[in-house]
Amino acid sequence: MLQPKRTKFRKTHKMVGKGIAQRGFTLTRGSFGIKAEEAIWITARQLEAARVALTRHLKREGQVWINIFPDKPVTRKPAEVRMGKGKGAPEFWVAPIKPGSLIFEVDGVPMAVAKEALRLAAQKLPITVKFVVRRDYVEEKAA
Amino acid sequence: MKTVSISGSSRANVGKKDAKALRRAGNVPCVLYGGKEQVTFYAQESAFKKLVYTPDVHIINLDINGVKTDAIMQDIQFNPVTDRIAHIDFLQIVAGKAVIMNVPISCTGTAVGVREGGKLQVKMRTIKAKGLVEKMPEKISLDVSNMKIGDTVRVSDLKYDGISFLESENVTVVAVRVTRNVAEETPAATATAAATPAAGATPAPAADAKKEEKKDEKKK
Repeated sequence: MLQPKRTKFRKTHKMVGKGIAQRGFTLTRGSFGIKAEEAIWITARQLEAARVALTRHLKREGQVWINIFPDKPVTRKPAEVRMGKGKGAPEFWVAPIKPGSLIFEVDGVPMAVAKEALRLAAQKLPITVKFVVRRDYVEEKAA
Repeated sequence: MKTVSISGSSRANVGKKDAKALRRAGNVPCVLYGGKEQVTFYAQESAFKKLVYTPDVHIINLDINGVKTDAIMQDIQFNPVTDRIAHIDFLQIVAGKAVIMNVPISCTGTAVGVREGGKLQVKMRTIKAKGLVEKMPEKISLDVSNMKIGDTVRVSDLKYDGISFLESENVTVVAVRVTRNVAEETPAATATAAATPAAGATPAPAADAKKEEKKDEKKK
């Protein structure tokens, strides 16, 4: 699972993720991708599950890029503990994303294969996403 | 170079409020610059379909309130969520003045290396070129039929009269790379070839190959 190698601080504030993505919404490397339509925190576990589903369908063909990184620690208090007495311990990592953020990019496979692979990946994510294609994409003729 | 005609109307007001109203009505706010003065205008979103959703570059014959101008598309912005066109910049073509354009690269033929099991990797889909519009090619065609596995075409290999490429000379444009299947077949093939002359020496290379495979799997 993805997580930072080291961090400056162990715990972070929740922060409010308002608005839409201001960067990271353009396909820069791949020809296909999935774009978030909602704002959410995607956990490292969800991202890994989606990546596995995606690469399994691609069968070692093509290339995959993950455009988001879970660099925000989320804390949880133990069960049956009263409120107060300080913040809980870091439990897992999340990547906060906004509507418009590209999550995965894929290239090197036909559009139909990429679409199916990304559909399977999207099923592992807790939000609605949409399939996007590079605007100057032309399907290559089979050799 | 291909041409596209777009007719638009000049904008009465500029600013966020007006631009949003235009987009709601199915128009795209645009700007034309590079001439004597800057012109802000708008046109129907459907008119840009042939210009935007294609790998080709075009010369645009703009007709703004009856005033005709030739231009190229300089920049484009999209809505991050809906992917609808938010704004387009046009650069007026002035005779004798060089422009910078992203010219598409297209590969022709089937590379020898691809027939041998390699994979053709197009590293750059477009290349930034500077020159007069008249000299600018519609696309940069690369004949890859003589490329073997391991061959690369770099920016320095591209030669066109009247235009210069604004990329680093050692940047790879197209390469024929070894695929994983070919790479895996090669050590196995060598191991079997070695098996025929000396039967005693066979287990060692095969075992090495298996160890390497295991190491690769662990790394993954």
